[in-house]
Amino acid sequence: MKALDVSDVTKTFKVKQGSRIIANDKISLKIDEGKIYGLLGPNGAGKSTLINIISGIMLPDHGTLTVFGKNIVTQTVEAKKMMGVVPQEIVTELAFTVQEILHYNAGMYGVPFGERAKLITQVLSDLELEDKRNERARNLSGGMKRRLMIAKAIVRRPRFLILDEPTSGVDVALRQKTWELVRRMNKEGMTILFTTHYIEEAERLCEEISLINHGRVIKEGRVSDIQREFSENVVAFELFDLNVAHLAGVAADGKEFHLPITELDKDMSSVIRHYGSNLKSIKNEAASLEQIFLKLTSQ
Amino acid sequence: MTTYMWALFAREVKRFQKIWFDTVATPIVSTVLYLAIFSVVAAGRTVAGADYTAFVYTGLLGMMMVNSSFSNPAFALILSKNVGTIVDIQLAPIAPWKVGIAYAMAAFTRGLFTVVIAALITIWFIPGIALMHVLVFVAAMFITGLEFGMLGVIIGLLIKNFESFTLVMTFIMQPMIFLAGIFYPLSSLPAPWDYLSLFNPLHHNINLIRYGMIGYADASPLLSFAVMLSISAILFIVMNRIAVRSLKQ
Ligand SMILES: Nc1ncnc2c1ncn2[C@@H]1O[C@H](COP(=O)(O)OP(=O)(O)OP(=O)(O)O)[C@@H](O)[C@H]1O
Ligand SMILES: [Mg+2]
Repeated sequence: MKALDVSDVTKTFKVKQGSRIIANDKISLKIDEGKIYGLLGPNGAGKSTLINIISGIMLPDHGTLTVFGKNIVTQTVEAKKMMGVVPQEIVTELAFTVQEILHYNAGMYGVPFGERAKLITQVLSDLELEDKRNERARNLSGGMKRRLMIAKAIVRRPRFLILDEPTSGVDVALRQKTWELVRRMNKEGMTILFTTHYIEEAERLCEEISLINHGRVIKEGRVSDIQREFSENVVAFELFDLNVAHLAGVAADGKEFHLPITELDKDMSSVIRHYGSNLKSIKNEAASLEQIFLKLTSQ
Repeated sequence: MTTYMWALFAREVKRFQKIWFDTVATPIVSTVLYLAIFSVVAAGRTVAGADYTAFVYTGLLGMMMVNSSFSNPAFALILSKNVGTIVDIQLAPIAPWKVGIAYAMAAFTRGLFTVVIAALITIWFIPGIALMHVLVFVAAMFITGLEFGMLGVIIGLLIKNFESFTLVMTFIMQPMIFLAGIFYPLSSLPAPWDYLSLFNPLHHNINLIRYGMIGYADASPLLSFAVMLSISAILFIVMNRIAVRSLKQ
């Protein structure tokens, strides 16, 4: 059974004067249990819209979604029980302390009264918030509020954790800690879906990703496959002396030059033969997700 | 109630307990003021055979339940929409009607808390008052709390800001309260107001609460009971509809 199975999800928003925005356009994706899955895309791509639909707080116009086999639209309550969701926007209860927020939140996800204290102690230590236990949530710093949002979602150890840009507006150290935590939760068996703007994060954390742009999935699959698909396209090299006659088909990309590959061995050796001792470096470049991303989204 | 719903109910109770002084101080002060005025104006007078001060007092207790149970969920929901914490109940695996009932139960609890404390403080000023029909009184208070709690949930989900809330109070709740026979019996009204007041749902809540306490009723207690149950059923259906729609976009 898939942890998440999204098929053909479409969502449009009415904006003023009868015009419409297609925020999600026939999006499909599947996540296997136990995986960390990244959802990438520029601002306004439709990531949060999709997350909201998956979380059961927004209805799709079309399409079906299931979480561990439970249909999110028709079995909403059952589906929600599987999920812990960290929304993109930080919101904080005005009146309650950290402890109280976690206590009631755990209860609202069915954790019996007697079991809550232990889970809260655990999650506070997971997120290094122990000394804020009795602090009013509104008095926490921005980064702490962000951690509290994560704590709310994982306090009862859901099967499926969804994080919508958990690292935006967070300093480097905390970002590292957040991803460490995500890895740890994943090792405990949690399936994880997250969105981010930081492509290196996706590259390091997950095996599979979807790139979305303008509400559409423009690339989907294993990070390594996507990288291979794009890396096989160029021989990248640097030169000492830039004022030379180039081989046919060579294009400059900053200080680097790229030659599209037809046959790897032959192209490499013709570059070496042509530039000789003027070559500073040469590689068959594994394109970074960043480059692939820029390339795909600028099309 | 399940753990899920119970936790939401407990959270909402905790919310007003944090401001327990505000919760009870305001209604107690206003009740004492009303009583002071009416006991001066109406000392020793009777209306339709009932002691006038006791008559007004029972009305005021009912009004306290109505006000507390209506404003508690309305305030909490409008605030959580403005702050964004409404997402917590949108994400929770609790069916929309259960969310509504949890809020309405908390509303009743707040009303109960207010009425009991206010009564303990003020009842000594009302000579010779006693609970005539305890069960009727408790049931009437309970239904009233839930009924206006559900109305508060509906209003809280429908309107966006506190300005609109003030409008609802001024143009809907206040007239309803003033035409509910809290301060005077129906029989003292000229036609057609006496008859029309029967169509004010709130009149029936006050009537049954008063009957439960001092045994006086200006409309049939059974009719009032039936009206309260029907209104509650209608409010439940409306609340469910609105909760389903507004907890999911
Ligand atoms: N409630 C709404 N009403 C109208 N339009 C909306 C609504 N929510 C989102 N949109 C629009 O839908 C599109 C997708 O928005 P969405 O928030 O899903 O993007 P995103 O990928 O999460 O962006 P970001 O990276 O900035 O968070 C945007 O054009 C946005 O303006
Ligand atoms: Mg977003």
